[in-house]
Amino acid sequence: MARFTNYLFFPVMIFVSWWFVTEHEYFPAVILPPMKAVSASFLKQLESGQLSQDILVSLIRVAKGFSIAAILGIFLGLLMGVSKTVNRFFVIPLNAIRQIPIIAWIPLIILWCGIGELSKVVIIVLGAFFPVLVNTVFGISQVPKDYIEVGRMFRLSRWKMFTKIYLPSAIPAIFEGLKLGLSNSWTIVVAAEIIAASSGIGYRINDARSLMQSEVVIVGILLIGLIGLALDQIFVWGSKLLTPWAHTK
Amino acid sequence: MSHNDLVIKNVSKTFEVNKSAVNVLDDVSIEIQSGEFICIVGHSGCGKSTLLKIIAGLLECNSGSVKLDGKVILAPDTDVGMIFQEHRLFPWLTVEENVALGLDNISGDKRDRIVAEYLELVKLTGFETAYPHQLSGGMAQRASIARSLVNNPKVLLLDEPFGALDALTRMQMQQEILRIWEKEKNTMILVTHDIDEAIYLGDRVVVISSRPGRILDIFQISLQRPRDRADALLSNLKKAIYSCFMPADHLAAKEMA
Repeated sequence: MARFTNYLFFPVMIFVSWWFVTEHEYFPAVILPPMKAVSASFLKQLESGQLSQDILVSLIRVAKGFSIAAILGIFLGLLMGVSKTVNRFFVIPLNAIRQIPIIAWIPLIILWCGIGELSKVVIIVLGAFFPVLVNTVFGISQVPKDYIEVGRMFRLSRWKMFTKIYLPSAIPAIFEGLKLGLSNSWTIVVAAEIIAASSGIGYRINDARSLMQSEVVIVGILLIGLIGLALDQIFVWGSKLLTPWAHTK
Repeated sequence: MSHNDLVIKNVSKTFEVNKSAVNVLDDVSIEIQSGEFICIVGHSGCGKSTLLKIIAGLLECNSGSVKLDGKVILAPDTDVGMIFQEHRLFPWLTVEENVALGLDNISGDKRDRIVAEYLELVKLTGFETAYPHQLSGGMAQRASIARSLVNNPKVLLLDEPFGALDALTRMQMQQEILRIWEKEKNTMILVTHDIDEAIYLGDRVVVISSRPGRILDIFQISLQRPRDRADALLSNLKKAIYSCFMPADHLAAKEMA
């Protein structure tokens, strides 16, 4: 019970101060709308189907971009982890590209791919690829020497060494990369939609801003946060389920 | 020299640490008969583990040779099994899958039968589908013994295998390893810094000095098994082995202070 309070005290405090500030009209409603207006807007958007439509569009973009990034990142990461030659071949350009903020890519990607679906997916791929790649390479590199010695004692083939030792031992790190990649994807899709899009949750909040509908903006922002949190949790549970050994200390 | 003998001849090994050479093993020679139980005692870091790794084919020696059955050991082979201080079971595999690790070229029923047989030998029947983190330290070490035995190695190397276990479990495991040895009849080479353990288990106890690792003495123990840990002969032996490490009185005094 005490723990419950510990978790909930701060969020409840935020809502209470919000209520207090708007109830006494310290700010105009356009700047900070009252909670009532926000929840009314939420219900209205929910009923009209606009809300689910916006979220769905953004989530589909994330699903496409993230899956491509995950496949590419894990595949190249494993190759770079296992082979020094492949690693040396890619490492310098990849490390350089990794330093560029994803937002900086958006103008170039729009020039190349237009403002349609493709450009969003490409931007998400760019944003999600690197955490997956880096963590996969790391996962392979930190395989305990002890296990490799056991593999050598049993004269395991290179393939068996990979499937029985390197890969499973790297899975927790790969999961960590996927988790970061997914959270990046979600952040980036919203950013890309704000800059150039005609649909999606990011488009919605930017559109509402230009119409001075601050309650719509806040509904959008809160949902972006909550969905991000949910996506993150899915990975926390998934990794506990798939790599139980990494969670027992 | 009979069959299946393990001959360690003039083995020396130097490691480079911070650009200076450290002589870990210096001219070590032992001839070990097939089915013999050898215990090697020495300080931590005296090169005993290095010697085992050379016998296992995991490390190369700088000079000298290790021959099993007349053949020089250059790389790991299924003839030689190794048990480490940590169980080193793969946490992502079940006990069964861990034990089956060395049975790559055997498939299906036969493989299952061998795994079941060795799990029974180490008294882990019923834990086939458990994961290593669900086992106690002693049970995990038993599983790793089963894993090393499935290939039916001629020589089993044990690198302080019970060092991480509590005293009671350790004594229990010592009896277990004797039981397994009497049944499987492989050559056992056990490295330990526990003199009691060495004299309780070994046919011969090899005492190694540290840096450089040299054989100081070899003690033959012809006492019948099961041995009484409190046997007078054993306590005399213990004294003798102890004195190998502390040759002079002033050294002993220094150690005490």
